[in-house]
Amino acid sequence: METNIIPRKGGFNFDNYKRNLFLEQKGLTLPKVTKTGTTIVGALFKDGVVLGADTRATGGSIVQDKDIIKISYIAPNIYCCGAGTAADTLFTTALISSQLELHRLTTGRQSRFNSAETMLKQLLFRHQGHIGAALILGGYDINGPVLAHIYPHGSSEHHPYITMGSGSLAAVSVLETRWTKNLERQDAIDMVKDAVEAGIFNDLGSGSNVNLVVIEKNKTESLREYSKPTPHHPKNCDYKYKRGTTAILKESIKDLVVVTDGEAMDIS
Amino acid sequence: MSPGSYNGGAVVAMIGKNCVAIASDKRFGVQMQTIGTEFSKVFPVTEKSYVGLPGLTTDTQTLQEIFRFKANMYKLREEREIEPRTLSKLVSSTLYERRWGPYFVHPLVAGLDKNNQPFICAMDLIGCITETCDFVVGGTSEENLFGICESVWEPDLEPEDLFETISQALLCSIDRDCFAGWGAVVHVITPERVITRTLKSRMD
Amino acid sequence: MPLKPGELDLGTTIIAAEFKDGVVMGADTRATMGSYISTRNANKITQLHEKIHLCRSGSSSDTQAISDIVKYYLQLYSIVNEEPTTLTAAELMRELNYNNKEVLSAAFIVAGWDKHSGGNVYILPLGGTLHKAPFAITGSGSTYIYGYCDSLYRKNMEKEEALNFLKNALALAMSRDGSSGGSIRMAVITEEGVERLYIHNKDIPEYNDLEN
Repeated sequence: METNIIPRKGGFNFDNYKRNLFLEQKGLTLPKVTKTGTTIVGALFKDGVVLGADTRATGGSIVQDKDIIKISYIAPNIYCCGAGTAADTLFTTALISSQLELHRLTTGRQSRFNSAETMLKQLLFRHQGHIGAALILGGYDINGPVLAHIYPHGSSEHHPYITMGSGSLAAVSVLETRWTKNLERQDAIDMVKDAVEAGIFNDLGSGSNVNLVVIEKNKTESLREYSKPTPHHPKNCDYKYKRGTTAILKESIKDLVVVTDGEAMDIS
Repeated sequence: MSPGSYNGGAVVAMIGKNCVAIASDKRFGVQMQTIGTEFSKVFPVTEKSYVGLPGLTTDTQTLQEIFRFKANMYKLREEREIEPRTLSKLVSSTLYERRWGPYFVHPLVAGLDKNNQPFICAMDLIGCITETCDFVVGGTSEENLFGICESVWEPDLEPEDLFETISQALLCSIDRDCFAGWGAVVHVITPERVITRTLKSRMD
Repeated sequence: MPLKPGELDLGTTIIAAEFKDGVVMGADTRATMGSYISTRNANKITQLHEKIHLCRSGSSSDTQAISDIVKYYLQLYSIVNEEPTTLTAAELMRELNYNNKEVLSAAFIVAGWDKHSGGNVYILPLGGTLHKAPFAITGSGSTYIYGYCDSLYRKNMEKEEALNFLKNALALAMSRDGSSGGSIRMAVITEEGVERLYIHNKDIPEYNDLEN
């Protein structure tokens, strides 16, 4: 117990590892972690980069979340789409994002795309593919717009258009037919939107809405719910229960005291 | 058999108008055998925030103690109560720390923040937060609860209406889950008071 | 070590050869995950130092990690000492390859030009050996072209001759090997510097008209 409650400096804790291995050997199946399912897309255009993602999170065959945000903030000029194990993509990008923030405060300069890419790939390589984060990193720095994908094992490549996740097979067809050099901003946005929608409709792991982030020189625009291709149809009438429907055995009410700030102390 | 269904249990949380509710069944069992009927999986952390920990009971209890400790340390250090959103991050990072040796729980956090804005969220066993503005569910009755909550939940329910909705959703779900049931408890958290009610339910 | 599940494979054909003024290097651009072509335009020719490049084959992540480390070592080396030689770079690669041979699946061809020994080609297979050769091929597709290369390679070829040799060898390997394909990337390293060439998929010679 003591090891559990002493504040730790950081890093992973393997206290339960042997126990869980024992349970696994006993024939117990370990519970499913939340996966992003996912269609994530990124594309370069004339003077910037667009990132796009669907918003479905799955646990096995259950839709765990219908409106999850898969495009994470890395720096004001760098964003990152995540596919794979949801917790891994979220924590990995959050970790690198905070390290870059400290680096910016130290140096007083804009974050470089290459810093983010290198930090992410070295982290993932250190963990030898056990951190299940497949990332599309997009940004704009002194070298102009850049786009790269990073695989869970820690390899990265730069490409003008990228898609990852279970919906990538559907999305890639849109990108392969429509991407050209020096796309206009709106054309790029439309193409990425259509690519993500191809994933939403043709891949069971992807669904709900399309979120976009457009990064240009000194300007980053986040377009939440840029497209809602699967609208929810409201119920025609409701199932509101009458008060008193539920039989109660026991009730206890704890009144809360509302604390308001008193008058300031006179310190004149 | 999986550690998630070894002991059984169901927890659900919902948002209402300026209020939240969190409810749990009270069964403690070992596979198909019921051992106790007074084991709620929902624990208060502060006056206005609760955490639900359905899953493997040994981990439920271990984590409850860890969160009690951590929330108390937070209070001592910060000289204020932990906000539900902060609490959810605390739970999340505690779980992700065990990325490769996780606790088998499916935590839910529900509460009102300092401006009395409702907050609920759920997590998977390694701390991936799902924050919603309607309802979150967990435990062996997860699938049942998802189905019924999608149907009966509606926005802006008053505390008393929210109580009926969450109670009926839970009771109906656990009636179709052999691993959950044997009584239920509901907490409705409003800015003025916390109403805790024990429900009459089937005991089989 | 075999590839881990879900790992990006550079199932590859890579080649490098000495010629009159330096070295030429070539690689296909296909990267696969199982049977899926995850990238059809990968870059397997990586710069280590100004006039030292390498071709990567095996696991994409392992080869990138190693070449990033050596690139960093050579940056430091060139500040403290003089410009590194190709052999220095190759020895550093070998050291990392040997010390971590249990966990790596990476094979390289290091090639470059330096003022001491001109153009040099080194091959680093799995396990941490280092071997100097007038020309080198490796990767899954290389098995198909050993005979072709052995019979056609000559010392002191002209640049165009050497590039043609590379292009045809790669085209043959890519037409037989399922894990190799896409386009062809080449690099020419001489005293003057580095020239990079790209042959689009549609311009790759067919295996039955090798005359051109």
